Amino acid sequence: MKLFDVKLLTITCEILAQKNILEILNKHGITGYTLYEVDGNGSKGIRGKGFKNEKNVKIEIISTETRLKDIVEEITRSLFSDFAIILYLSDIQVLRPEKFI
Amino acid sequence: MDILGLIQANILTPVVLFFILGIVAARIRSDLKMPDAISEFLPIYLLAAIGLHGGLEMRNTGFSNMLIPMLTAIGLSLVFTLNHYQILRHLGKFNIFDSYALASTYGAVGAVTFSVGLSFLKNQGIESEGYLAAVLAVLEPVSFILAIFLTNMAVSKQIQSKKQSLPEGTLDNNEKTSGMAEQSKTNISKVLHESITGKAIVILLGCIAIGYIIGDEGFDSISIVFDELFTGAIAIFLLEMGIIAGQRLDDIKKVGAFLVAFSILLPTFNGIIGVLVATALGLSLGGAMMFGLLMASASFIAAPAVLRHAIPQAKPSLYITSALGITFPYNIIILLPIMLTVSSIVHNLDGPINLFNYLGINLL
Repeated sequence: MKLFDVKLLTITCEILAQKNILEILNKHGITGYTLYEVDGNGSKGIRGKGFKNEKNVKIEIISTETRLKDIVEEITRSLFSDFAIILYLSDIQVLRPEKFI
Repeated sequence: MDILGLIQANILTPVVLFFILGIVAARIRSDLKMPDAISEFLPIYLLAAIGLHGGLEMRNTGFSNMLIPMLTAIGLSLVFTLNHYQILRHLGKFNIFDSYALASTYGAVGAVTFSVGLSFLKNQGIESEGYLAAVLAVLEPVSFILAIFLTNMAVSKQIQSKKQSLPEGTLDNNEKTSGMAEQSKTNISKVLHESITGKAIVILLGCIAIGYIIGDEGFDSISIVFDELFTGAIAIFLLEMGIIAGQRLDDIKKVGAFLVAFSILLPTFNGIIGVLVATALGLSLGGAMMFGLLMASASFIAAPAVLRHAIPQAKPSLYITSALGITFPYNIIILLPIMLTVSSIVHNLDGPINLFNYLGINLL
């Protein structure tokens, strides 16, 4: 079985930044992502207790390195100063690379 | 009426006791917690019940006498928001974003506070004007829109002055600043659309319409859910609010003494002005108190959702903690009895002309 190298971008952010991030993804032509609500603790204290507005979400996007780097650049520039966001890129392998271009 | 006695009696009502239980549970780090679905459901239920009652009342009393109180409420809310901003910016030395965010949080209304007020009146056996539910709905977006509008103006002014101070011909810098302008300016029409189509307004206005259409006969069939369960539902919801407020008590130290004083004194001032103005407009004893409560309450459910997008530079820990951790408990435990007392004092004065005199003296 042949596996192809692509990148996975994982973004953990406060739920109120979700819309801004999805807008950025949309702008860069990303149509596929996985999103789930999560709890956690960080520099801004325990998240996800009480109000729904205070929850965190985790968004996963698989694509090529160039495209993901553009997205990371835009998120860093426009959202890092105002929202709680953690993001990282990792190497993964997929079976059908044409799905993630 | 004895204010202290009334406060004491108010603390011993189920609604407030549940709130205190929530705070205690959070302080002793109990794992007591409302299921997510219920804590999302309860605000919707409360707004639906308030809306239905408002609609029923409006069917009985008509729209005509609600216009003036509503316009007055909007006017007061705008004036208060500007007033808050001046106090916060100049006396409190907050930055422009935090000042506007806090000013609008306190200028906006709290639907939860409003429902607690209704159950407080129910407990005292006092009626209030049902159309105040419609005022609640209209007031919700008003002060946010003002604050966002003013923030945008201030931001674009800042950027203009920055542009002027830059040396000519530095294209790169110019591009950067215009990029910044695009980011920091929030589209007013987008915010307007978001706050008007927000779930709180839709359910509230929708239920006012439903209440108006169905009338008392239609309401009979659903009254067991929307009337008899109302106070009980508030009690459960306040347990949840108590837990959330209790978890934030530690943060109060971080907001500073000025903001603590602000979040107690300003609601008191706004609320009493509201009661006096409403009395002058001819609202009933309970109605004037609810009007005062509208002026006094701070928004802590709608505010974070709106402000986090509209003024993302403002620190949410400031406006959520002060509105929920300080103002909300103060409003429901202490300010409600105070406003009811003020309202009953001014209602016992003779005739409306005297009331205006009283008000004039007070405002001077």
